[in-house]
Amino acid sequence: MPDAYLFDAVRTPRGRGKESGSLYTIRPIDLLAQALRALSNRNELDTSQVDDVVVGCVTQTGDQGACIARFAALEAGWHVDAPGVTLNRFCGSGLQAINDAAAMVASGFYDAVVAGGVESMSRVKMGSDGGAIFDPATQWNVGSVPQGVSADLLATLHGLSRADVDAFAVESQRRAAAAQAEGRFSRSLVPVLDINGLPVLEADEYPRPGTTVEKLAELKPSFEVMGKQFGLDALTKSKYPQVERINHVHHAGNASGIVDGAAATLVATKQKGESLGLKPRAKIRSVAVVGTDPILMLAGPMPASRKALKKAGMQASDIDLWEVNEAFAAVPMAFMQELDVDHARVNVNGGAIALGHPLGATGAMLMSTLIDALEDQDKTTGAATLCIGGGMGIATVIERV
Amino acid sequence: MTHTTENGTVQLAYDADAKVATLTLAMPKVNRINDDFGLGLQQALDWAEAQEGLAGIIVDSAHKDWCVGADIDRLFKERNAADLIQRVRHLGALYRRLETLGVPVVAALTGSALGGGYELALSCHHRIALDEARIQVGLPEVTLGVLPGAGGTQRLPRLIGIQGALDIVLQGKMLRAPKAKAAGLVDALASDREALRSAALAWIAANKHAKQPWDTGARIPGPRPGSGDARNMFMAACGMLEKKTAGAYPAPQLAIAAMQEGLALTFDRAMEVEARYFVKLATSDQAKDMLRTLWFHRTAAEKHEGLPHTDALDVDRVGILGAGMMGAGLAFVCAKAGFDVVLKDIKAEVLEAAQAHCNAQATKLRHLGEDDRAALLGRISYTLELDALDGCDLVIEAVFENLDLKHAVTQDTEPKLSERGFWASNTSALPIDDLAKVSVDPTKFIGLHFFSPVEKMQLLEIIVGAQTSDQTLARALAFTRRIKKLPIVVGDGYGFYTTRVFSAYIVEGAQLVAEGHDPVLIEWAGRSSGMVVPPLQVFDEVTLSLVVKGFAMGRTYGKTLDIAAVKLIEDMVADGRAGKAAGAGFYAYADGRRRGLWPGLKDKATGTPESSAVEELAARLLGIQALEAARCVEDGVIKQHRDAEVGAIFGVGFAPNTGGPLAYIDRMGVAAFVARMDDFAARFGPRYAPPKLLRNMATKNETFFEPV
Repeated sequence: MPDAYLFDAVRTPRGRGKESGSLYTIRPIDLLAQALRALSNRNELDTSQVDDVVVGCVTQTGDQGACIARFAALEAGWHVDAPGVTLNRFCGSGLQAINDAAAMVASGFYDAVVAGGVESMSRVKMGSDGGAIFDPATQWNVGSVPQGVSADLLATLHGLSRADVDAFAVESQRRAAAAQAEGRFSRSLVPVLDINGLPVLEADEYPRPGTTVEKLAELKPSFEVMGKQFGLDALTKSKYPQVERINHVHHAGNASGIVDGAAATLVATKQKGESLGLKPRAKIRSVAVVGTDPILMLAGPMPASRKALKKAGMQASDIDLWEVNEAFAAVPMAFMQELDVDHARVNVNGGAIALGHPLGATGAMLMSTLIDALEDQDKTTGAATLCIGGGMGIATVIERV
Repeated sequence: MTHTTENGTVQLAYDADAKVATLTLAMPKVNRINDDFGLGLQQALDWAEAQEGLAGIIVDSAHKDWCVGADIDRLFKERNAADLIQRVRHLGALYRRLETLGVPVVAALTGSALGGGYELALSCHHRIALDEARIQVGLPEVTLGVLPGAGGTQRLPRLIGIQGALDIVLQGKMLRAPKAKAAGLVDALASDREALRSAALAWIAANKHAKQPWDTGARIPGPRPGSGDARNMFMAACGMLEKKTAGAYPAPQLAIAAMQEGLALTFDRAMEVEARYFVKLATSDQAKDMLRTLWFHRTAAEKHEGLPHTDALDVDRVGILGAGMMGAGLAFVCAKAGFDVVLKDIKAEVLEAAQAHCNAQATKLRHLGEDDRAALLGRISYTLELDALDGCDLVIEAVFENLDLKHAVTQDTEPKLSERGFWASNTSALPIDDLAKVSVDPTKFIGLHFFSPVEKMQLLEIIVGAQTSDQTLARALAFTRRIKKLPIVVGDGYGFYTTRVFSAYIVEGAQLVAEGHDPVLIEWAGRSSGMVVPPLQVFDEVTLSLVVKGFAMGRTYGKTLDIAAVKLIEDMVADGRAGKAAGAGFYAYADGRRRGLWPGLKDKATGTPESSAVEELAARLLGIQALEAARCVEDGVIKQHRDAEVGAIFGVGFAPNTGGPLAYIDRMGVAAFVARMDDFAARFGPRYAPPKLLRNMATKNETFFEPV
């Protein structure tokens, strides 16, 4: 079985996912096409040699409907032989694309696969693709609550106070600001240009450097009203009877930002990459995806990481740097608690609280941030993991080569 | 009391009783959109906002036209996308400010509002136009290779719906006031200025809280953006556009994209998308080439720039010899321009047909009243008698293309001219000097090459013989102006200019058939390169038998090529495939309609080509014409370069997207063009050999036009 290597990773800056955001005027197909084009240009990639383009995208409707992977590859001017497939594993989609690519390559059936993700949350609203998850019948048969309620439940179960999560958020902002100031994203970051080649966005625009705990303390918890007054907290009770009262600690300042962006990576066998004139940056050691309780929903990174580590024959302590998606502050905090990982090794350049979480793209973006950070710090092993809607988790372990 | 903005471009008046400010656009000569206009509008809005109790604004004009759009001089030179987008965004913000000041704004359209001018009107809450046919409104931008960049692609669909806006924007339509009202481009019509003003004041009084529909969340008429119906509508618009333009024109293509993309966004952000598309086009090579020819050269030709002028046309009575299609059309055109016309033929039935033609043309002029129509037709007399031409101040001879016949009618008819009279020969190829040999006064003898159908075709190719006087040319030009034709003035020589270029095109089309290229690809190469009509189709329309006659005539002048196409065409005529009129040609026909390319063409091939790459076929079809145009420059037939461009585009349908045959050479680079034609000459024959003129230009790195 051949090993799968990561040859390169690029990402667009993340624009605020609102009508006032810089990337609102850019169609998601163009966001993705620009990431793909940047990847192929800087690697002088013969795109006829790309066996597939696997793209994570969560809200596959409107501008993001109809297999955006295929049309973005064509829009990017890629060889017509390079096909495309779009997948949805909610917030894990971008990493799922990489994991699928790794599995495809490792299977021996494919030699080179491009994996990436895209989400324009300003243009295609979260949830606008419908679905059965909030149907009453699903509620009674499966159980389902809004993520914010799950996040607050997770915080409550892990004993995380409002002050704890706010402090984490402030640190995320501080790290992201420092990374920006020191140019630590520059290896992966490619500017988004308009049709005239003029820059539309060159750096992540979501961070609020200088955020303090005092400022965050002024924000009202976002899910308290729906949890308490609309009774949504009650929907967790049958599964978590031991929780007397959910402590609503999350708000816009300590949860991931709604943003637009795209990312692309190249995964291939060593041989194929070399025949394309490329040098690998990392080997993909293992991948894993798990299902967990859909009510708690956000506790997937822990079992997913354990599963991936086990496959790689590694311990959590063997991993030099972690990227744990900051969907809500409680997620990486619970992760650090459970796997006993020091914050110094987690999200060293900040995370989605500061930078934003473009749903389908985030997983692939975490991978670019992770490789860049490993190279910066001259470390060897890294892992990326995300919590996923519906109660799932995903993880990928890599090793620099 | 009126005063103006500091920069003098807008007159300001405040009606303290009605609390209505009137902004009168008053730029020097005409209201055109440039930096000065923007500054004036900004100052005018500052002033208006400062008026005590401002309750409304009326925007009108101090000139005949309201505002006719962008200052092309400035736009033409702009190549810097970053600068241009800033200026476009600045203008967009000003327009936006006008519609969001918080008071109702009425556009009082006392004259035409076109392009950026109409976009200003769209930024008012209400548009009232004088009910006069002279007033036009619309968005002609795509016809110049750009698109409406001041909100036109965004406001119009939000105002009248997607389909209506597509119809206007993609065709660059301009509608006369009554039609504009019907299409929703203006909201109301007023009979005169006074009525217009009171209607505007009344509307302001009744709509104190006016807001634009895009600022109230009102749904747009017709299918909603993003709906399946809207998607189908855009899809069909793409299909229809491609059918018409074969992909040769990015401007309407990007206009559809701008509209569809923008409608998915908030209005302010949609303006950014439009601006980007506008800038993309405005800074493109194609826009430069189209603007140069379709705006500057065309305007220069319209104004007869650099040509002799006379105030004394001294023509009241025009005689026309030959009442065929051309003669009848000319009679009508002249009568419409107010001349008394005597139309002479030798056959009564031909005259009858001509009269029927003129009557039918007159009924098409809907804006004319019964009396005017009768008066127009009454100015034409139809005659078999030579003496009826007595006292004509101008005789236009439009008999068959036969030197002897033309000599004969000249000798017979010239004595009938009035003392001040001059003679014009309508011919598409015969040298004027040869025709003038029998004239008693060759100084008063000129060539006027009209194009068919003469009522519709704008171009008039004026041929100056060796002895034609400047005065005769000046009078011919004055006549041209009266009949509202667009002149080019060329030197004498077999085929003059347009016929040489056009023949090169269609004969090369036939030659490609003879070489064995798939006729379907030949036609596509023509269309996709921008030629208005593909070569074989247009060959059928001009009729192959006429071209065969031309070959015979051309041989006497040593101008007929010795290539396989000539025999192919002669054979086809001999086989009864003379073209559309014969019901069979390169195409098959049924009931006068094309029914696909004739399958027998493949048997006409004399060989098998190595390749039929469309790009190369297109380069041959355009290249062979461009070479001929360059030879005409070298021969002195073309006296002003602009005439090569205007003549080819307006006369024979040369690809307007290129700006014309000389611009085509410039754009490729003269040296590159020469190299390619040398390659073609080696492979396809010496007719591709570039003239010395081009070789010299290539060496000296010269161009026909100043590069932009």
